[in-house]
Amino acid sequence: MRQLPLAAAALALAALPPAFGSNYLTGVALSGVVFTVAAAALNLVYGYAGLLSFAQLGFWGIGGYCSALTVTRLGGSFWAGLLVAALVNAAVALAIGLPILRTRRHAFVIITLSFALLCALVARDWVSLTRGPLGIPGLPAPRLFGFGFTTATRFYYLVLAYAVLALGFLYALGGSRIGDTLRAIKQNEPLAQSQGVSPLPYKLAAFALSAVVTGVAGAIYVFYLKVVDPLFLDFYYMQTFLIVVIIGGAGSFWGVVLAGMVMVALPEALRFSNDLRMVIYGAILVVAMLALPRGAAGWFADRRLAALRAALE
Amino acid sequence: MTALLEVDGLAKAYRGVHAVADVSFGVAAGAITGLIGPNGSGKSTTIDCISGFQRPDRGRVTLDGADITGLPPQRIARAGLVRTFQTVRVYDQFDLVANLLVAIEPFRTVGWHDALLRTGRYRAARAAAEARARELLDLVGLTRLAAAPASILSYGQKKLLALAAVLMSKPRLVVLDEPVAGVNPTRINEVAGILRKANEAGVSFLIIEHNVEFITGLCDRVVVFDQGRKLTEGPPAEVHGDPRVLDAYLGIDEHGDHVAEAS
Ligand SMILES: Nc1ncnc2c1ncn2[C@@H]1O[C@H](COP(=O)(O)OP(=O)(O)O)[C@@H](O)[C@H]1O
Ligand SMILES: [Mg+2]
Repeated sequence: MRQLPLAAAALALAALPPAFGSNYLTGVALSGVVFTVAAAALNLVYGYAGLLSFAQLGFWGIGGYCSALTVTRLGGSFWAGLLVAALVNAAVALAIGLPILRTRRHAFVIITLSFALLCALVARDWVSLTRGPLGIPGLPAPRLFGFGFTTATRFYYLVLAYAVLALGFLYALGGSRIGDTLRAIKQNEPLAQSQGVSPLPYKLAAFALSAVVTGVAGAIYVFYLKVVDPLFLDFYYMQTFLIVVIIGGAGSFWGVVLAGMVMVALPEALRFSNDLRMVIYGAILVVAMLALPRGAAGWFADRRLAALRAALE
Repeated sequence: MTALLEVDGLAKAYRGVHAVADVSFGVAAGAITGLIGPNGSGKSTTIDCISGFQRPDRGRVTLDGADITGLPPQRIARAGLVRTFQTVRVYDQFDLVANLLVAIEPFRTVGWHDALLRTGRYRAARAAAEARARELLDLVGLTRLAAAPASILSYGQKKLLALAAVLMSKPRLVVLDEPVAGVNPTRINEVAGILRKANEAGVSFLIIEHNVEFITGLCDRVVVFDQGRKLTEGPPAEVHGDPRVLDAYLGIDEHGDHVAEAS
């Protein structure tokens, strides 16, 4: 029963490309699904564990470069590229997570931000590996048993399959005792410790798992773009993930998933006035933040709380 | 009686201020021991050091003979020493049952994969923990609010919830920092009854509290602090008649500087 909403959402998304009948719109939906997965991964560290991690952008970039390099340099398949992306991100997240998760929250934010900037520098300046600003173009369409993911629609279903896997996992994790423990640590870490909870393993697991999910999302997405270059580490991506989490409501799985789809569809829906499109988009964001400071899910939670208080008076 | 908790030569300074200068005392197994003293005399700092939330500069803390000095709080909690906080702490966004389910103790045998896959082992542990949580909520009189988020509780109700949460951990020694400060006076006797009942079931207590009646009625022994040192200790009646103890409280009022509410 608990899986029902997830299955319904997946089916609705699966029906999109035929409904659109347009490569362009299918591409928009595809980006929306990928960004939603990355946002849901950020939600695990930020929404559940309370760790504002800008390292997500770095993991996204590392994932993109790992899969591209595996295919172009090592002659591996796209699938091997995803595996490399997952493993490298897990290793990097554990290596940097262990020291920085011991620091204070402000320090954590700043160090993860520096990490993301460092990744962008490496992508631009380690020319012998990444080809620098030229990037790595001409990434071939992934193939599986002779079937090529050559069209936008086909690639869309590949992305959707990963999204179901990743979101299903994050949903199960967030709803489990592990998710509850992360939320407890976020709300009151000393209290959790006094009840026998070791915060570090939980935070590290959240950090590393979100790195893997984000990295693989990036690894897949570059093959849709057919190119990876330093722009793939542009702050635009981080900003998108963060906006989706904040608008949806940090800590709410469904809030973030719905916000992911809406926030990507919104600029397209606003195409009726091309000049003002991004201005209106920005204005809607500002208004949404003013009206819903804790996101859509937070707004609903506040209403429930008010009703409860009224009932108890 | 053998000492369950032994504190020996404990000292802790904050930026040169000697919060705890040099204190030694013990809590006997099965006892309810009081810890009193004027505000700022180092009581909270002492239990922060005992429970691992502060690292003492000097001294040794042993629990049942095992050295626990400087261990992280969660290790000490798992060893059976569980504390509450003077400024009450609860999970505001969780309902009361969920507040009680964070404790590790009922889930000791449950691994991460059990929790993720909701295996039979996890479900059994969870059902038992939930039953225990409801029992404890009943004990502290919060059953009516079991499904409400803790944020709607009054300060005193939060203290009762924190008390129930401590008992979820099946502790051997409970350290309470002002458990009835802010609790509705009509409920203070009930709290004393709850503590006595837990004590009969084998839980030892170290209780910081300003409420003299509460301490006198409950404790076998009282340790008195003044300015980061142990002033005296003994049975409650004896201690409260001690002119030095009176002096400590009054002297503080004269100087004023120690009266400021310390965390
Ligand atoms: N975290 C801290 N940083 C600096 N000084 C502190 C801190 N905690 C307590 N103190 C100081 O240490 C002294 C003892 O405080 P505390 O242990 O809270 O006393 P009590 O619990 O007996 O009221 C006080 O002078 C207080 O101001
Ligand atoms: Mg105190």
